[in-house]
Amino acid sequence: MPKIFFATDLHGSEMCWRKFLNAAKFYEADVLICGGDMTGKAMIPIVEENGHYTVTIAADRQVVGADRVGDIENQIRRRGYYPLHVTPQRLQELDENADVRKETFQQIMLDGVRRWMTMAADKLRGSGVRIFVCPGNDDEMEVDDVVRESDVVELGEGRMVEIDGFTMISTGWSNHTPWNTHREETEEKLGERIEAMAKKIPDPSRAIFNLHCPPFRSGLDEAPAIDADLKLMHGGRALRPVGSTAVRQAIDKHQPLLSLHGHIHESKGAVKLGKTLSINPGSSYEEGILMSAIISLDAKKGIKSYQLVNG
Amino acid sequence: MAESTMGSAGARPTLFLRNATGLVKAWSTFDAFVYSFWSVNLITLGLYGMSFVYTVPDGQLLAAILIFGVLTTFLVITYAMLVSVMPRTGGDYAWQSRVLGGGLGFVLAITGWWFTLFLWAPIYANILNVQFFLPLAYTLGWSSVATFFTGQTGLFVSCLIVLAFVSVVVTLGMETYARIQKVCFWIGLVGLVVVCGLLLFASQSDFQAAFNREATALFGAKDGAYQATIDAGTKAGYAPHDFGFFSFGPVFLLLPWLAFYLLWPNWGATLYGEVRGAKDIRKPFWSMFWGLWVTILLVGLVMVLVVKTMGWQFYNAANAAFYAGTAPVGTWPYPVMFAGWLIDNHLFQALLILVMGLWFFGWAGTLFLSSTRVIFAAAFDRVLPSWAANISAKRRVPYGSLILMIVPSVVISAIYSYVPKFQSVFLDATAVLAVTFLGTVVAAIILPWRRKDLYDASSVARYKVGGVPTITVVAVITALFLLFMLYEWSFNSSNLYGTAFQSTLNSVYYFLATYIVAIVIYVAARIYRSRQGIDLSRIHHEIPVE
Repeated sequence: MPKIFFATDLHGSEMCWRKFLNAAKFYEADVLICGGDMTGKAMIPIVEENGHYTVTIAADRQVVGADRVGDIENQIRRRGYYPLHVTPQRLQELDENADVRKETFQQIMLDGVRRWMTMAADKLRGSGVRIFVCPGNDDEMEVDDVVRESDVVELGEGRMVEIDGFTMISTGWSNHTPWNTHREETEEKLGERIEAMAKKIPDPSRAIFNLHCPPFRSGLDEAPAIDADLKLMHGGRALRPVGSTAVRQAIDKHQPLLSLHGHIHESKGAVKLGKTLSINPGSSYEEGILMSAIISLDAKKGIKSYQLVNG
Repeated sequence: MAESTMGSAGARPTLFLRNATGLVKAWSTFDAFVYSFWSVNLITLGLYGMSFVYTVPDGQLLAAILIFGVLTTFLVITYAMLVSVMPRTGGDYAWQSRVLGGGLGFVLAITGWWFTLFLWAPIYANILNVQFFLPLAYTLGWSSVATFFTGQTGLFVSCLIVLAFVSVVVTLGMETYARIQKVCFWIGLVGLVVVCGLLLFASQSDFQAAFNREATALFGAKDGAYQATIDAGTKAGYAPHDFGFFSFGPVFLLLPWLAFYLLWPNWGATLYGEVRGAKDIRKPFWSMFWGLWVTILLVGLVMVLVVKTMGWQFYNAANAAFYAGTAPVGTWPYPVMFAGWLIDNHLFQALLILVMGLWFFGWAGTLFLSSTRVIFAAAFDRVLPSWAANISAKRRVPYGSLILMIVPSVVISAIYSYVPKFQSVFLDATAVLAVTFLGTVVAAIILPWRRKDLYDASSVARYKVGGVPTITVVAVITALFLLFMLYEWSFNSSNLYGTAFQSTLNSVYYFLATYIVAIVIYVAARIYRSRQGIDLSRIHHEIPVE
């Protein structure tokens, strides 16, 4: 019976992606599922000028020679950012022109996903391990096409797939957020999207809902309270439930065996919603820590065991 | 898409950010300061803790407070650096587990943030009694209410009131309570200004007259209660010294008393939100730093005014006589109530006590906040049963963790109320938390080597002192400070703090019981989970990168 390794919200952290791929061997997992939000949130320019390179990481400005550039790139990638080689002129152009910035960002993100797909193929081709990714609301639509090109990694979005006698449906779409990201929609439409897949499931007691957005008021959806200016309220200590009511209704209605979520990094947890075990392993991608869940499924018991780990 | 750039004004951009979920702007330092300021509460814990400084009559209080402030600043730096290295996953349990290992992290965190807080509930209740119910009842002439709250059942009822209040706050959530805290903060400050104003503009002879008047009116004391209080204090063993008297050694003996309120600027150091620049140490540092030092400045001001108007000898004698049970005014010497007596109007006096009571209600609600988080974390790690992290569907009440906090707290409160000997262990509540902090501080000391990857990737890695990581240096200083206090609490030859092992077996039993139970829970969980095919040792095992 399958042992599932689930991690989510890697946000461009190459260190976390490498750990994700290595988790198959480390935890003896048969199935790897990446729950969404694979792409990073920031580019850090490495400015080439007069034979040296200038870069600022976490407010620390460094000027290095060509021999240290590779090390700097790795430092940037492990945080989930993208290193961007530029000349001073190119940097100025990026600073002044939003369209150029947008185009550059998209290109560098898709290159990053391609790079990850290649790493997955190099590491796990022929291993028998199945790998699923389901881009999340922060991932642009073009990411799906890059994943589809892979012959090792399977795209989950909008599909119903069989995993050793269990059925998994997936979507990375979320309810609306204050950031107006790429895969957001109303609760009604999100509900329809999930229902279109869920109604085809033959046996909910052997179903896995891989839905990026956590269910509303589940304890897996508590995000820091922010004001209209996106400023943290009350010293960053107050939390609010921001999950999806559509996801909650789908779980309440169909009662799948397992539901896997992400989206809210601070809200790590595992709760029972009726018959469903719902898990959000959280995310600490910036620190290079892969927060994840290991779930052993069993033909008779359903869920044999589960554990949240910080690998 | 690429929505913003970052870089200093007029300089080249150093970062291009796109619009993505969770990217928020930094919290207001003032908001975080308010939280820290409440944690080192000048009125509730502060005045209560300082009522014991008469036991070190040759210790210079202001010097001790300053020394404590400087040493606790190292604790603040240590915690701010840990927040910076591991933001959004902060808290003693997470830091200790990741650096020291899951077992040690569980034992240290669960004793400090779970078991010991059972003991804090009656401590809070005792403060509520002596700073709110009793002075209010005496001032309003409600003698039967006062009599009730001075009794054992009255204390137990106060415990239940505190536990009910804390449960309501946990149920309401931190966002609602933060609003309540701010209201309490501003009105409480107005009350403090009034108290300071009264003490500033009155002379010592004014106070003597007011004290003699109200001691007779409210407590039936004989005329001349001011002098009688000093005499009773001296008879109880208080050896008077001038406030300005300085002797180097005794100053340090005051530190373990001051820890009762000044050791907590880092209370609830956990922060949330993916703040742009969250790894910047400045925000968490300044919020805790100002919480600590504004309190130190205020406590210095209040004590100077108390000395000027009430008299240093009277202040200490009143406390000594109260704890000896021989004071002419038979209630805890609450400086706020005494200051109110400078106005010959019982309604005003009652109003002042009510307003200053907001220092309690703006503070007490967070009693179990960290506990519930630690219990949740342990439940998610499968060390505790999963029901411990259960939340009710409608109101989001964390009833599992609340039961684990409330039920034992009621039992401990009953023992505290009805078994007077047990009350001697109240400073153990500080000591056990100090041990938990020590665990975190040790984790900080070895962090640069033990979790090199995490440390090197953080912004604090560039801070060094003589080639040694700054986090290690400040954490070593903090550790020595904590060890000194732990030594004094545990082994002071005169049993100055009432917690010395050789004199107070209650302390020994309490310490041993909490740690043994924590170890038993962890070992039992390891065995039980192992049978389920779950290996708890791998929770924090790092997956190889290559």
